[in-house]
Amino acid sequence: MDPFFAWVEATALSVFLRESASLWVFPFVLILHTVGLAFFVGSNIAWDVRVLGFSRGIPLETLSRYFLVMWIGLWINAVSGVLLLIAYPTKALTNPLFFVKLALIGAGIAVALRIRRDVRGRAGEADVLPTRVQVLAAASLACWVAVIFAGRFLAYTCTRLTVDSTC
Amino acid sequence: MLDEVLRSVQTYLYSTPQGEFLRESRWAWPIFESLHFLGMSALLGTVGVFDLRLLGFARRIPIAALHRLIPIGISGFVLNAATGICFLSATPDQYLFNLAFRWKVTFFVVAGVNVMFFYARTFRRLLEIEPGAPPPLAARIAGGVSLCAWIGVMSAGRLLTFFRP
Repeated sequence: MDPFFAWVEATALSVFLRESASLWVFPFVLILHTVGLAFFVGSNIAWDVRVLGFSRGIPLETLSRYFLVMWIGLWINAVSGVLLLIAYPTKALTNPLFFVKLALIGAGIAVALRIRRDVRGRAGEADVLPTRVQVLAAASLACWVAVIFAGRFLAYTCTRLTVDSTC
Repeated sequence: MLDEVLRSVQTYLYSTPQGEFLRESRWAWPIFESLHFLGMSALLGTVGVFDLRLLGFARRIPIAALHRLIPIGISGFVLNAATGICFLSATPDQYLFNLAFRWKVTFFVVAGVNVMFFYARTFRRLLEIEPGAPPPLAARIAGGVSLCAWIGVMSAGRLLTFFRP
């Protein structure tokens, strides 16, 4: 994989992201990734908690509005995440934890979509959801906590920063 | 004068047990950082979404019902205050003399003053508004200021490492 990493790191975009001294380049991408995380994971946490029975006054039909916040957060993070990957491909792709993080995000999104489908079918019905949906919400919460831990630990478990430098 | 005060605060914080624990443990720092990000998400997912509602987003959600999620945001804030004090105690020099940290504190003060004003003046009247009705101007301002202040806190927090003294 090293020739591929070397090629990405030599592209103009990668060099610009890594070497620009402006706070509006690399730090700004990091800020976007953080704000996107807060809205994406945060709105998921709020909905999981609602499904688990907290704050029952929130109508289940309004779930779709909450989903909009989740999707916007997810897109901000997909775009900023790809930019971070272009800046430091070796750092991420040589760390097994990075793939664990991606798998957890995939699982989290799958569970969130499943919860949405289950809740949609019951709009206007009883406010208390069946145990099966509550188990999904608990699994979703666990997933997002794990994603945050995996993401944060990436910075402490990397071995190579670029093709020719260590972390 | 300010510098002298900060130096004595720095000396005191550095000697605290939580500071020493964080400096000497191998994994405590990244674990506390992860918790700090988790608390941030809980805060933005509830308070941030409540702010969006105040701005007029998702008007069909009753304000009183959405407000019942706020304790989750407050729990997130408490978690972050606790972990934040630990970071500050571990390496006080990295924060007390850091421009980004001063911005972070400024945004906190804005958020704090705004929330006090909101509960003292605006909140009670809001509960009487029908779901679906456009929120009053005072509510929109409170929501907008809160949202900007918390995004400011997060941005300044992320910039800390770029302003190391």
